[in-house]
Amino acid sequence: MSLLSVLTLDENELVACVACGLCLPHCPTYRVTGLEAASPRGRIAAMQAVQFGDAPLDATFERYMEECVQCRGCEAACPSSVPFGHLMEGARGVLHEQRRSERRWRRRLAEWLGYRLVLPRHRLLLALTWLLLVAQRLHLVPRRLGLPRLSVRSLARRLRVPAGDAPDAYLFTGCVMDAWQRDTHRAAIRVMAATGARPGLPRGGADCCGALHVHAGREEEARRLARRVIAALPGTAPVVVDSAGCAAAMKDYGRLLDTDEARTFATRVRDFSEWLARQPPPAVRADGGRVVVQDPCHLRHVQHADGAVREVLGRAYELAETDDDGLCCGAGGAYNALQPALATQIRDRKVEAIRRAAGDGRPRVASANPGCAMHLAAAGLDVRHPADLLAEALE
Amino acid sequence: MADLRAALGPDRARAEPLELALYQRDAGVDRGQAAAVCFPGTVDQLAAAVGIAAWHDRPFVARGSGTGLAGGATPVGDPLVIVTTGLNRIVEVDADERVAWVEPGVLNLDLSRAVHHLGLHYAPDPSSQQACTIGGNVATNAGGPHCLAAGVTAAHVLAVEVVLADGSVAMLGGLEPDAPGYDLRGCFVGSEGTMGVSGRIAVRLTPNPPAVRTLLLDFSTIEAAAATVSGIIAAGIVPAALEMMDAEITRAVEDFVGAGYPRDAAAVLLVELDGLPAGVEAQVEAVRRVGHEHGARTVRVAADDAERALLWKGRKSAFGAIARIAPDYYLHDAVVPRTKLVDVLRQVYAIAAEYDLTMMNVFHAGDGNLHPLIVFDQRTPGVWERVHAAGDAILRACVDAGGVLSGEHGIGLEKRDAMPLVFTPDDLDAQARLRDAFDPSGRANPEKILPSGSRCGELQRVPAGAWI
Ligand SMILES: Cc1cc2nc3c(=O)[nH]c(=O)nc-3n(C[C@H](O)[C@H](O)[C@H](O)COP(=O)(O)OP(=O)(O)OC[C@H]3O[C@@H](n4cnc5c(N)ncnc54)[C@H](O)[C@@H]3O)c2cc1C
Ligand code: SF4
Ligand code: SF4
Repeated sequence: MSLLSVLTLDENELVACVACGLCLPHCPTYRVTGLEAASPRGRIAAMQAVQFGDAPLDATFERYMEECVQCRGCEAACPSSVPFGHLMEGARGVLHEQRRSERRWRRRLAEWLGYRLVLPRHRLLLALTWLLLVAQRLHLVPRRLGLPRLSVRSLARRLRVPAGDAPDAYLFTGCVMDAWQRDTHRAAIRVMAATGARPGLPRGGADCCGALHVHAGREEEARRLARRVIAALPGTAPVVVDSAGCAAAMKDYGRLLDTDEARTFATRVRDFSEWLARQPPPAVRADGGRVVVQDPCHLRHVQHADGAVREVLGRAYELAETDDDGLCCGAGGAYNALQPALATQIRDRKVEAIRRAAGDGRPRVASANPGCAMHLAAAGLDVRHPADLLAEALE
Repeated sequence: MADLRAALGPDRARAEPLELALYQRDAGVDRGQAAAVCFPGTVDQLAAAVGIAAWHDRPFVARGSGTGLAGGATPVGDPLVIVTTGLNRIVEVDADERVAWVEPGVLNLDLSRAVHHLGLHYAPDPSSQQACTIGGNVATNAGGPHCLAAGVTAAHVLAVEVVLADGSVAMLGGLEPDAPGYDLRGCFVGSEGTMGVSGRIAVRLTPNPPAVRTLLLDFSTIEAAAATVSGIIAAGIVPAALEMMDAEITRAVEDFVGAGYPRDAAAVLLVELDGLPAGVEAQVEAVRRVGHEHGARTVRVAADDAERALLWKGRKSAFGAIARIAPDYYLHDAVVPRTKLVDVLRQVYAIAAEYDLTMMNVFHAGDGNLHPLIVFDQRTPGVWERVHAAGDAILRACVDAGGVLSGEHGIGLEKRDAMPLVFTPDDLDAQARLRDAFDPSGRANPEKILPSGSRCGELQRVPAGAWI
């Protein structure tokens, strides 16, 4: 253990926390543990202790940081606007650099496979998805993983958009979502077309937005991916994203790359519902029934697009709200894989809140993020993307 | 540690240096150092933890959410910190009797939400209500904006199960309205953990009012706002809440919530009226009239629940939002007679100017409970001395005007040495002896409330109806 390791976070950001504790109830890990160490205030205090030399950067510190879902519920709740997400990404970056050598080889191999080999290469991800599909048919993939049922038809068919010149709006397709939930992209394209707009697809190279890399503190890799994404989406047309985690990351490209090109690009990025709310409303049947809205954290706390989701879904469905202030569901990118115990406890809380909101019957849940959808589906809920729900309601 | 781990389970007691560093302070400024921290999951485990501290003759400090502003949960004397957040079950709700039994770690707002569908709520609503625990509220006798009409925590606590310093458990108070004997429950409320740790608590629930209206009045001088406060009370109206914020704080809050608070106002008043619909409408008109008479620039009535919620979110974020201006704050909590409000405010701003400090004010205007806030950056050399000197000067000004030290946050560590300003040695001695009766060993949250020399006391000296 190296005692010389130091944190080098922005000191002004770090001391901005006045320890008022108003963020505590909005933190999923604090809610299920009641531990200061699993709270935003405690994590900041730990960062301060390490940065100012009062405590070593050791395995305990690493555990505190890694237990954070990076949902940024605390950031939205903090009246002092402590930029928690940025601090946490910084801390993860330092941990990634300094503690790499101490990680077990299995974890390092898994990280390398995921972050470096597969995610940046969409064809490889698709090939692996075919294998996964076969495994799923052979019942080798446990249901509790929440993997949606992969479909041969869906995987075999490419996404199609009307041919023609420059599109009115791009649909960003991304990595895992395109491999596992391509039907949601199809639904999004149908709804986009129903507004009268002409949707387009990215050119080659937009394999992955890099959100997971940023969360893991792998900024250099994230920057490489971001440059490729920007190059694959030329012009000025809005970039519509139907995964809340990706959209949040792409809106932050300006900070990540620190170039004017990236900043301009970031202003073009829209969450699907955010974009749709500004278009002429497509004709829908208004009798879709009751849907419980689940706000993915990066939609609500980071993009503040929770209002837009309600606006567009409300045209076709009767909406029900949970009573937990949009507390995180525990999916958090790769979090449910890395911290399964905490992720499950957090999810149990969420599932209870959803059942309370739904009243009787099996609730139908709308979630605008593939990670949340899979995580909640693994608990036996019927979770749909707003694009799927709206496509179903189109006249 | 071994005893704690054996009694509570291995994960429920910790002593790693980094872990302890997280329990050095509450939301106030003072820091201490804990010897160990434990997280009981049941009231039995809570009693066991206190018993183990007794066995090892070690001090102990109860801690809820650590939102206290007076250093009450700051560990002093190498204590065991006992965290109650794991005791967060609502044990029983009796909607007919309007009583709820809760564990001490239940969050204030969670309780109100849980009984909302019964048409009830828990009335004391400190601005920290989303985060603070009922146990912490009982220990500090917390108040909140709505305590103007409803009364502070003491008026809403019926019975408390207390783990005494030796680990034994006693039940104070009861559900019957007028229990025979001394009101020990009353002594315990506000004792800031110096008389023992609360286990289960029986609280009174209050019916939700049939109609609520929230008004925002804005003024170009603080005096006009203060005069309006007196005017409203003089008109015979008892608002459910009556809150005032000065210019700086209003701007900071508006930057956070975007509720449409006027950025150019010298002061704003937030007035809430509740009751039967017809009566409330009449009161809205009366407040509007009084406001205009005293020079209110605008009077805005919140149109719906969402707008009301946003206005309150602004007010309740006030303390947190000040970090937008500087990273550290020093908060006072003093009550002055309402008639002296304008006077004291002028002095307070003058003191800040004299020490070259930024000063803001947010307070429960209805009962003269001031919260002057000095904001500063610890990293500025010499700033601490100025902050402390200005703080003392402010307290003196409040006391000279006939006020008291603490409206609602408690005395804790921070204001301990100012106690002799308002109490005679005899008073302090009486308080020390009262505390000794509960905790002869002096191990329950040592060195809090009473300055060294007088030893320990309780806080019933706070005038009824006062909170922050
Ligand atoms: C932004 C903000 C706004 C606030 N607004 C208000 C307000 O409007 N009104 C108000 O009154 N206060 C206010 N406060 C202060 C604070 O929230 C209250 O004092 C609250 O009651 C503390 O609760 P807690 O659970 O955080 O207790 P802690 O801070 O953890 O503890 C406070 C004290 O209670 C003791 N204690 C805690 N639990 C127990 C227990 N189970 N048994 C015995 N002793 C115990 C501790 O030892 C300590 O002395 C505010 C604080 C903040 C940060
Ligand atoms: S992060 Fe913000 S809300 Fe949380 S304790 Fe710090 S200042 Fe308060
Ligand atoms: S990002 Fe989420 S999990 Fe992490 S500290 Fe903030 S609220 Fe808690």
